[in-house]
Amino acid sequence: MKPGRLVSLLAANLKQSRVRALLAMVGIVVGTAMLTFFVGLGEGLRERVLNRIFPVNQLEIEPQAVQLFGIEQRALQEPLDDARVAQVAKLPGVVRAFGKQKSAFPARLWGGRELIGYNLFTEAFFDGMPVAMLRPELEAIEDVPTKLARARTGKPTRCDVDLDCPAGALCEAGACAAIVWAERFREDAVIVLPCDKDADCSSGACRDGRCLVLGPGGQEAAQAPVRCLLGAPAKDGRSLDYENERGTLAVRCDTSPAELNASGWCADKGACPAQTYCAGDHPDTALGWCETPLPAVINPLLLEVFNSDMARSLGAAPIASVAALYGIRFHVALGDSYFSQDAAKVRQQYKQAVIVGFSRKAPELGVALPLPLVRHFNARFRGAEAARSYDAVLLETANNEAIPQVIGQAEGLGFSLSRKSRAARTFGTVVFVVSLALVLLAAVVLAVAAVQIAQTFAMLVHERRREIAILRAVGAARMDVAVLVLGEAALIGLCGGALGAGLARLAAWGVDVAARRVLHQVPLVPDGFFVFPWWAEGLAVLVALVFCVLGAMGPARRASRLDPAAVLAQT
Amino acid sequence: MTERPPLPPAPQRPPGASAPAQQPRALPATSQPLPPAIEARSLARQFATEGQVVQALRGVDLCIAQGEAVAIVGKSGAGKSTLLNLIGALDRTYDGELRVFGQELRRLPDRALSRFRNQQIGFVFQSFNLLPHLSVGDNVMLAGSFGGTLSGGELRRRAQGLLDEMGLGDRFGQRPTQLSGGERQRVAIARALLMQPPLLVCDEPTGSLDGATAAQILAILHDIRTRLGTTLVVVTHDPLVAAEMQRTVTLEAGRVVQPAVGPPDAWPAKETP
Repeated sequence: MKPGRLVSLLAANLKQSRVRALLAMVGIVVGTAMLTFFVGLGEGLRERVLNRIFPVNQLEIEPQAVQLFGIEQRALQEPLDDARVAQVAKLPGVVRAFGKQKSAFPARLWGGRELIGYNLFTEAFFDGMPVAMLRPELEAIEDVPTKLARARTGKPTRCDVDLDCPAGALCEAGACAAIVWAERFREDAVIVLPCDKDADCSSGACRDGRCLVLGPGGQEAAQAPVRCLLGAPAKDGRSLDYENERGTLAVRCDTSPAELNASGWCADKGACPAQTYCAGDHPDTALGWCETPLPAVINPLLLEVFNSDMARSLGAAPIASVAALYGIRFHVALGDSYFSQDAAKVRQQYKQAVIVGFSRKAPELGVALPLPLVRHFNARFRGAEAARSYDAVLLETANNEAIPQVIGQAEGLGFSLSRKSRAARTFGTVVFVVSLALVLLAAVVLAVAAVQIAQTFAMLVHERRREIAILRAVGAARMDVAVLVLGEAALIGLCGGALGAGLARLAAWGVDVAARRVLHQVPLVPDGFFVFPWWAEGLAVLVALVFCVLGAMGPARRASRLDPAAVLAQT
Repeated sequence: MTERPPLPPAPQRPPGASAPAQQPRALPATSQPLPPAIEARSLARQFATEGQVVQALRGVDLCIAQGEAVAIVGKSGAGKSTLLNLIGALDRTYDGELRVFGQELRRLPDRALSRFRNQQIGFVFQSFNLLPHLSVGDNVMLAGSFGGTLSGGELRRRAQGLLDEMGLGDRFGQRPTQLSGGERQRVAIARALLMQPPLLVCDEPTGSLDGATAAQILAILHDIRTRLGTTLVVVTHDPLVAAEMQRTVTLEAGRVVQPAVGPPDAWPAKETP
């Protein structure tokens, strides 16, 4: 049959029996809508919830622990050192492996005045993480390529201080330069690490009460720390505390070289260079060394937690985006605790930290620092031995399919999944099973719809027996008649599938709107629960088409086998 | 019948060949014997219904020449429609021999048989059998959907030409329900002629029409036969209709009771084309 005439006849037939076709389509629309809806929901939960909390293709493993008299003990006797990490990195399916070290010392932090008007105080937990592992994500979230491209095309602006520069830029060498915060997450940051003996330093040696600062190649840093006097009177007799372009308060050590030399506490350079601060044993004593703030990376989920409920309870405005947090500084007291009074005051250190990036690999309730820093601090507070062993290994796998194999091999090496990864696997399995069950439910609905299609077409064929006989009389072959019936079913399937897919989109939009209204105070709730992959609608339409055609197969066969002579003789 | 434009000349072609567009068909010469359009030898057909076997045709011998007009008459149950269905290739379950344009229908597979029906045979039914959900034009073009190489535009032109001939040129887009009985039958004739078939099979073509309209339809059929050389096989109860045909074949209890086989040139011609 000619395709054009076929379409014309199909359209005329459907128009003739439009009510019955619409009724037959209802089941297909509902089934397809359910299928698309649940596929979208499953994908959405995976992508927008699961993958947001637990990054994809990533595992965290730690030495297996055994319960011994109710106490959890590591089964792995040998330390989790670089050799063990390298061993894990060589496992098939593993792309990269990094050791991760948690802080083993008490610490507290406070800050937030620039954001909400007063400081928040909390106990602090740090994860030492390799720079190479976080850097790509930091740059992606910060959108570094766009930022640098914009800076290259713009005119350089002359400046004396940071305030002269537009947002997103700082004054460097008399010209405004775009800030790339991700670059500050580096292992050779100028940090002064106090020590009493060599063992307090995770690497290098203790000289004059300070660990030597080592660069990436293990060489001594070219720039020695500069001593300064925080809050010392400036030339005009006051401290040069000022607000920067975001309205935040930036403390800057700024005194004349003569004054600093006279005080006997500061080096000959006098003032701390830009982007450094005066670190000391205590914030109030304000005597110490110029150093860059600790480069801190936080988990973007923290912002969601803050915006969802904390902000309201604290009377603060929600923070629009992570971009507002770049460059925000907070204070850290290492070796001190809000809960423990027995922390050795003499070994405490006051530091500042600055938010230089966001990563989902960072701890949800804590701060990620470059690994060498945490090792240094652990060595300082817990001894060199504590700094040598990692707590966990972060793995990046080639793909999700490789994960079960990698887990099995890692278990053979004496590792087990960390609690976080176990939760991710469990949640992923739950999402998969629930999605599968719902998709199967949709398939059942579609199967019922196919039965409905079969009944409808059986009736249509019976009603159109005479019409079919006429078609046969004018030259339609059996196959032509079958094609006409199946084509009609396919058209119903196509229309029903498209309508169902649209209905699913509409329902998903409605659920998202309702969820935003009802769950806006619940942390970690995404903006939308649904992700419709490109193939979802195509699959829905294809499934609807297949079910319709399958349903109409029997009636089509009966129609094609009608005896035209007998039918025409009946009337 | 009112003035109608002349029917286009139709070609005579071998069985199984597709219909060429608007080629003149040679009218059958009356001076020499015509090759048979239909040959039946000992044709028999039986039906099994409710455990009983009904012998609808019992050894029918029949020969109809090309261009001949034959009426098949008989009482109800005599086997007229059964014979018509066999001749029209709607039914191919039979004993004996049946050749239509030299083609043994029983041996054709469904696709070839359908094509044969499409190209060689036109049907006109008592109850018109137009599809009510299609327009008049689409009804006429229906056969073009299933065979031939005619383009959509050619089909449309041909359908419009046929409707013009039938005096229904302005009804192309209307529904059959908007037409009178006579008009519907004229549309049905136009539909039957679309593929320019050499055989027109009519089952009580005037059975649902009043006398005047029936006369119009008969005139059209007569005109088709004389102008195009189309073979006409008409089943009828109406003696007046039978009288319009060149020959009458009478069936009784599945048998031909009036001689039906013989040299075509010996048959009385009502009118020389």
